Formats: sequence, C-alpha cells, structure tokens
Amino acid sequence: MSADPGDPAEPARSHEPAAPTTRPAEPGGRQPLDGAAGPRVPEPGAEPEPGAEPEPGAEPEPAPEADGTWQRMHPVTPLVRGWAALAVLLFFVVQQRGESFVAGEGPGGADAGAGPLGRVQLLVSLGLIGGGVLVVAAWAYVSWRVTRYRVGEEVVELRTGVLNRQHRRVRLDRLQAVDVVQPLVARLTGLSELKLEVAGGSGSDVSLAYLRSGEAQRLRRTLLARAAGVGVDEAGEAPEAPEREVLQVPVDRLLLSMARSAWPVVGLVVVVALVVVVVVTGEPGIALALVPGLFGVVAGVWGAFARGFGFRIAASADGLRLRHGLTETRAQTVPPGRVQAVRLRQPLLWRGPDWWSMQMDVAGYAGGGSDDAGKETVLLPVGTRAEAVEVLSLLLPDPGCEDPAGVLAAGLAGTGREHGWVDAPRSARWLDPVAWRRLGYRVTGTALLARRGRLVRQLDVVPHERTQSLGLEQGPLQRRLGLATVVAHTTPGPVTPRAEHLAAADAADLLAEQAARARAARRSAGPELWMTSLARSAVQDPAAATGAHEPGGTAGGPAAGAPAARVVAGEPTTTREEDVSPPVSREEPRWREDAP
Amino acid sequence: MAARADDGVFDPQGVEWTRVSPRLATVRRIGSAVGHLVMLVPAVVLALVLDRTWILLLWLPFGVMLVVAQVLIGRQVAAIGYAEREDDLLVREGLLFRTLVVVPYGRMQYVDVSAGPVDRRFGIATVQLHTASAGTDATIPGLPPADAERLRDRLASRGEARLAGL
Repeated sequence: MSADPGDPAEPARSHEPAAPTTRPAEPGGRQPLDGAAGPRVPEPGAEPEPGAEPEPGAEPEPAPEADGTWQRMHPVTPLVRGWAALAVLLFFVVQQRGESFVAGEGPGGADAGAGPLGRVQLLVSLGLIGGGVLVVAAWAYVSWRVTRYRVGEEVVELRTGVLNRQHRRVRLDRLQAVDVVQPLVARLTGLSELKLEVAGGSGSDVSLAYLRSGEAQRLRRTLLARAAGVGVDEAGEAPEAPEREVLQVPVDRLLLSMARSAWPVVGLVVVVALVVVVVVTGEPGIALALVPGLFGVVAGVWGAFARGFGFRIAASADGLRLRHGLTETRAQTVPPGRVQAVRLRQPLLWRGPDWWSMQMDVAGYAGGGSDDAGKETVLLPVGTRAEAVEVLSLLLPDPGCEDPAGVLAAGLAGTGREHGWVDAPRSARWLDPVAWRRLGYRVTGTALLARRGRLVRQLDVVPHERTQSLGLEQGPLQRRLGLATVVAHTTPGPVTPRAEHLAAADAADLLAEQAARARAARRSAGPELWMTSLARSAVQDPAAATGAHEPGGTAGGPAAGAPAARVVAGEPTTTREEDVSPPVSREEPRWREDAP
Repeated sequence: MAARADDGVFDPQGVEWTRVSPRLATVRRIGSAVGHLVMLVPAVVLALVLDRTWILLLWLPFGVMLVVAQVLIGRQVAAIGYAEREDDLLVREGLLFRTLVVVPYGRMQYVDVSAGPVDRRFGIATVQLHTASAGTDATIPGLPPADAERLRDRLASRGEARLAGL
C-alpha cells in the first residue's frame, strides 16, 4: 500500500496485509487494532460512489483511534483542485485537433500530400501533450500520496509537500474556528474542504481538502467536541450539537441592500464617465479603457451577492454556525468566546429600513489566504436591527449594564451622554466636523462599546477579556485641543475599535478603567476547553443535558437548550468577579428592546 | 503629577517611568547623519563632473533636516519610557505624535530582543513585545543588553504566571 520508506506512520501500515485475514473472523467486531491498521480512506478506485456512507461492519469503521491513523484525502482531490488546468489543456487539445482537421480538409483531397508531415506534427504535439499530462498526473498523484492527516485526542497533524515537506501539528484547544468549504466543483462531486483555523498569522490554518462531505461533517463534529473538552465515544463519534436557527437573510433583502449600497453609485459613475468621454472625444474606442473598471464593479457586485446568498445563522452548543454562499458554500462554526470583536455598520441608505451589517474579528480568519478575505469575517451581511441585536446577544449574552436596549440604541444611532455614554467634547469638531457628535464610548461590565460615524454609522463591541492591549494616541492638533484617542488592540481583522477624540481626562480614565476591567475579566475567563464546565454541570443535572434532545418540546424547549448550555459554558467568560449574578434566563437575549 | 504640565494623559498616577539609555540618541544621531550625508554623494559627484559648485547647494535642505533631527533626537529619546506595573507593561514614546501602550503580561505571545551592529557597538538592544494583535506596538529601544535580557526574562515569567487564552 505504501512505498514511502522511513515514514514513522508506516509500521502500523506494514501489518495491513494481515488485517483483512483477521477481520472476517470477527465480523463487525471492533477490535482496537482494526482502526490502527486499517486504512480509513479506501484505495483509489475501491470507492465507486463518493458520498455513500460505509456499511456498518462491512467496512473498517472510519473512526480515528486515540492516537489516530494517517489518512489521505479523497482520491479525486487532484482533479477538483486542478480542474481549471485540465479544462485549459482540453481546450488546447480540441483547438489543435480542430485546426488540423480544418487544415487537412482545406486543400481538398490533399491529404496524401500533407499527410506525412501533418501526421508527424500531430504525433509530436499529441506526444508533447500526453507527456505533459503524464507529468502533471504523476505530480498530482505523488502530491496526493504524501498529503496525509491524522486526528488525535488533542492534536491534528497534517503532512504535505513533495519536495518541501511540511508536518503541521495543531493543538485542538487552540482551535479558533472550523469551516467546511465547498467550491462549485467540489459540490458537484460531493466533496468538502475542512479548514481548521488557528491564530498564527497568514497560512496558519490546516486545510483538509478534499474529503467526502459526510466525512468532513463527521470530523468537524469530532474536532469541535474534542476541542470543547467533551469526550467522544469509542468510535470517535460525537453527536451533532442541537442547533437553533437564529435567522436567514432573504434573497430579496440582500439584493435591496446592495441596491442601497455604494455599488450602484460606483456603477453609475463609471457609466456616466464612459458616456461623457465618448461624447466629448467622439471616439468610442476610448470607452474600452473604462471596461476594466466596469468589470471591477460587476465582479464586486457579484462577489457580494454570491457571498451573502442564503446566509443563515444558527446557535448551537459548539458555537455560532454561519452558512452562506451561492456557488461556493461555506459553513463556519465559531466556538463560544472565539469572536474577538464585533462591528455593526449602517450605510446611509440603509437607514430607512433600519438595516445593519455585522463583521467580526476571529483570530484564525484574518490571517488566511487573500482569496478568503472578506468571506470569513462577515457575521451578518444585512439584517434588521432586531436580528443584529439578537446575534450580538448570542455572542455577548450578558450586556453588563442597566437598560442594555437603551445603551445599544444610543450606540447605534444616538449622540450625547445619554445612557452612560461618554462623548467627545465640542473641540473635536475641528478634527471630525461631520460626525464629532457621534464619537463616544461606553464601558459596561462585560464589554467596551465605541461608536462613530454619522453618515455611515458604526458601533464596535469588544468584550473586556478579548482586549489584547490598549493604546493611547495624541497628535499635535489633538494635544492643542485637549483631545486623545484610545485604541483597543484586537486580533487582526476588520474590526479596529477606536474611541476617537475624547477629552484627555476621559481618555485617561478609560485607559485606566479598561486596563483594570480587562484584567479582572481575564482572571475570571473560562477555560480554553469551553465545554468542560458544561460537561460537569450536565453530570450534575442530567435533565438539563437531555432536555435539549427532547423531541416535540415546545418551541422554546429544544431551542432554549442550546443557548442555555452555551451560556453555562460561557458564563465565566462573560461575568466579572464583582457582578456575578445568578444564571437565570440568560438564554433570553437581554440586549433586545422587548426583553423584560 | 507630571514632569511637564501638559503631560497628564500620558503620565498615569503612580507610574514610575524608566528612561532608556542616552546612548540610543547617539546611535540614532549616527543613523540620521549617515542617511543625510549619503545624499551629499550624488551632489558632490555632479558638482565635480559638471564643474558647477552651486549644485552642492541642492543638498542644503537635507543639511537643515539633519540639524533639526540631531536636535530633536535627544528629546525624542528622552520621551521614551517604560514602566512595569503589577499586571501590565506601559510603554510610551513620541513628542509630536504621542503614544502610550498598555500590554497586560498575560497577553504577551513572545518577546524579541534584537540589536544591530551599531547598537552592539554602543551597547544597547531593543526589546519588543508581541501580542496576538498586530496593533500592539510595544517597542522599548535603547536598553543595555543585560537590562534587556533581564527585562525579557522577567516579562516572560510574568507572562507565564498570568497567561490567558486568546
């Protein structure tokens, strides 16, 4: 099966020929050696239809053992990865054939004359193409052979590389998010890419591409369960955490929101510029110069639409689940406490229907490849205010202040010092003449809120225990006006919380207070294995654990189970020592305006 | 409360600032002088080749900048300070554009100590703290190497004691 010499994983595989002979003796018997010796992913060709689940007992069960076994990606992977190159090659072949066909017919029966030379040319070109295909195929095969992964109790390992070998080992308790990505071609073939995001700059994620979709889902469950500190059963199976759908973004709202965005304006500008230039110069050829701009607009619009299409958010015990995408679908799972900061944003034209978009900082996301930029960090492409508030309350169940709805309303659209907000002094108008009234911050027991923007309203929310460091900045003008800016440094991402142009005394207070609060919040922060506290509480209170699985409960029954479980786990992270309140009715989003 | 009257915001109460070595000013002055004098080379070459002495005047703006920089560097270096508090490290710098960074020990991911050839010649090193945020710019230049290593070890051990997850 394997020809790699000196591979540490090989000793286990060397027993493999013996395994099939022992296996029939105990049909269905799940001996520990079985999983260690048997290949998880069948040989290429042995699996006729992807997507079919292995028969129980007939197949060596697909569960990783405690130490795991090395497994390969699905054999079709090279084709899915390299389909574009293949298509180009096919195109050239067809073109070549077509041309020679036409050339052969052109002289009319001159086949005998042009024959030998044409045939030689044809043979040479076919030989070249065939050789190229062989080389590429061999490379793809070798590359597929050496790419293997192993799932352990606490780590996931990935080996890649033909010439430059890489062996990456990721601790599961450092897992920031798990994504299942399906590009179009992978969707057609029933495959998925499983991306494990860890904080570590660009290219730090572990990408298992491609697995059968069922396998990817199973692995996702197992990894999340292990990352959460929940034991999985012997087969490595973890039950799917029950989820409650929070919202869906309707397609018509997505389209309307894009119509109310800057895109039509940009498109209009480009078209007007086009027309003006053509009319003034009288040369339509000049218009061609603007075509790339038009392409850019079209690509941008299409990208925004395809990313936001079918956006759904669900809450479950293992985190927030986001699903979206038109051609390429993406299912993200962000465990509790992994969202580092949130930004709510409302462009000018969304004010009528009171729509908001949300973005988030997650430690694993920003460092990813540039092709993923902007795809992963969208928390909500467009939603009503109620939806945005609900999503926010899922991420930060405890607002940590009196009258959270009022505080939030003041943050989203308000000005001045209502609801405990601290605004910028009048002298800030020299530095931000349009929006200075909106500038301000509010510190609650659990989070720092910073608002800004009058035309495009923005509100940043950072939980105290997620602040990395704090900065205080003052330029020469600010100094003259007695102002200063406080910056909360969070992990890289679209959200950069800044409280701009505060009065110097307010800024100093905020810095001191924020440092103290972040310190207190960190001290009481929950464990990295966020479910361990939940598992303990489930043992003490079995009804709470089983309640979530009850079928036919009331609408609130199964639904409330997940957030309740989440809150229990997240409790230490969201409360401070001094204002620990009993965990009552936490599953009710308290940011909401209609909350009791 | 503060050494200078307008310094209040960047001088939290009860913080004892540690200044960095004045040798940093020397190193920075050398760097600035080299940078500006390099610009003199093409001027001299052109002046010799074309036999026009006035070409040397083109360097004058650089000369002015050089003088200003030489004066300012001393004050800039004097403005750099750091303070180790119980739970966090404060680093401040800047004269015109001032910054103050508060880095909790538990947030440190790693600490760098670096020293270039000129730094080593003058016996200074730079300590830089890194958190999971790219925005954290906590750099303490101009520490004597022994101090830098002591600070690094102290920071590392404090960070370990107060380690928190992301």
